[in-house]
Amino acid sequence: MLDLRIPSGLFFGLLGLILSAYGLFAPGERAPLTETNVNLYCGLFMMAFAAFLLALAWRAARKRPS
Amino acid sequence: MTLAPVDYVILALYFAFVLGIGWVLRRKVSTSGDFLLSGRALPVWITSLAFLAANLGAQELIGMSASGAKYGIMTSHFYWIGAIPAMLFVGVFMMPFYYGSRARSVPEYLKLRFDEKTRGFNALTFATMTVFSSGISMYALGLLLQLVLGWSFTTSVLCSAAIVLAYTFLGGLTSAIYNEVLQFLLIVIGFAPLAILAVVKAGGWDGMAARIPAVMTHSWAYMGSASQNPMGVEVFGLVAGLGFVLSFGYWCTDFLVVQRAMAADSMASARKTPLLAAIPKMFIPFIVIVPGIAAVALSKMAVGYSLPMKNGGYDYDQVLTTLMAQFYPAGMLGVGLTGLMASFMSGMAGNVTAFNTVFTYDIYQSYIRPNAPDRHYLHVGRFTTVAGVALSIGTAYLAQHYNNIMDLLQLVFGFVNAPLFATFLLGMFWKRSTGHGAFTGLLAGTTAAALTHGLTTAEAKGGWIASLVHFPSTMAQNFWIAIFAWSACFVITIAVSLATRPRPEKELEGLVYGLTNVRHEDGGPWYVRPGPLAVVVGILLVILNVWFW
Repeated sequence: MLDLRIPSGLFFGLLGLILSAYGLFAPGERAPLTETNVNLYCGLFMMAFAAFLLALAWRAARKRPS
Repeated sequence: MTLAPVDYVILALYFAFVLGIGWVLRRKVSTSGDFLLSGRALPVWITSLAFLAANLGAQELIGMSASGAKYGIMTSHFYWIGAIPAMLFVGVFMMPFYYGSRARSVPEYLKLRFDEKTRGFNALTFATMTVFSSGISMYALGLLLQLVLGWSFTTSVLCSAAIVLAYTFLGGLTSAIYNEVLQFLLIVIGFAPLAILAVVKAGGWDGMAARIPAVMTHSWAYMGSASQNPMGVEVFGLVAGLGFVLSFGYWCTDFLVVQRAMAADSMASARKTPLLAAIPKMFIPFIVIVPGIAAVALSKMAVGYSLPMKNGGYDYDQVLTTLMAQFYPAGMLGVGLTGLMASFMSGMAGNVTAFNTVFTYDIYQSYIRPNAPDRHYLHVGRFTTVAGVALSIGTAYLAQHYNNIMDLLQLVFGFVNAPLFATFLLGMFWKRSTGHGAFTGLLAGTTAAALTHGLTTAEAKGGWIASLVHFPSTMAQNFWIAIFAWSACFVITIAVSLATRPRPEKELEGLVYGLTNVRHEDGGPWYVRPGPLAVVVGILLVILNVWFW
């Protein structure tokens, strides 16, 4: 059975990459009510979450030799 | 609100993953059981997140933030007194019978426990209801995208329907459930930053509390009488109507959610599915309700935000999207919007997968063509998926043209659903209850619901027979309709059961409490055992209720 943590990890990894890159290269993108670089921080968080999911999936795959 | 190219890239990335998951899982489907029941092979963390997500539709996101702005934190009653206790109950007490009976659906359990007519009644009403509710949520999303982004109603409805159809058709229930988990994660990650940004901007909880009426920051303090709080509900109606009848009726008997738990890989996982789902469910109010409250506080500050208006009144349904436009730059805006689309899709896929299972097993296999080879039912299941999506599209257009018909239908479904929990409660915990009792009880409950609606009025609704009682709000009216429907069903089921012949106990093994050997997961740490897990969740729940008293 497909380990759902792999596609989820990949999805959030890519999403985080796009967002943080956008936050870095277009730091002027700001919403009207906030001074925060929302894209950068959310992107970084998503990449961390993705790494967590992929690490869990990797650990599970190593435990289950088939 | 306009989208930048990066937002469209994010939307496309999401669609690619959703379809990709369906594509990879298509090879796992070889029997009707694989397609409609996931072969009962999913791990518990997946089933519990899907259990949550199938219910977390776009209407919930938009509706809960709207209620947050309208009523404040007391909207959390829908979670903290509504959903959670019922989720604990279904996990600890009811799942042993659903999962252990090997029934493939909730209506099939009714057939095993009671008789054919009770199953037929439940299967038909449930199948119709799922088609209409997925149509209504499709309509809501089409309307939203039209309003916010200027997309055409037809484009948004057809595109979203095509994607849901593609992945449910390919991978069946497993694909729907996998995508629900992805959608759930996306909803949380897409909307949690909005809640944080809005609350911080509004000065934190204390800052918000200082700017808005006190009634909006307390969930229980103003519940003593209906005139004190904007919901127009008093504590008995709330606890008995919402907390007991409506919530237990939904979380414990609605096949849409129960199906997710029944797809788990073992009895222990099936029981833990709603219990583990209850933990994130408790904190969802912070993502969906609190932004609505923050919006009210922001509108009282000189920051340039005002609540959306329509026809001279507040348009609360737009609160969430206006907040997104104010706090999310291009990029994160795409994520938020994708989360909204995701919530719509998980809601719709939930309805479609529940519909195809109930239709295939409880209607087609039972009444149209029994005893065909399994291959045949797999084809019927796939065909029903297409038909279910097509019917939902039809109902979405119906909703667009005849708003009143939809209101009426939802009302009628409410009448049918309200008494259902009494039937299950007696069926599972009282071996003397009979099929005739259950069926007449259900009819009596539905009639009682219709009569209550006909004899009471609230906000110019109901009272089509006479107006004997007036409720301060339709919410209070709905709660009381549920209370009367449940009580009528409960009493009549008992009375008729006592007058009819009981089934031999031998036939009820595995279906009724006392005649079933419920295996206790002894040993192992507390968090893998349903009982202790439920107690811990219950304690957390009490803490939350007291905290926001």
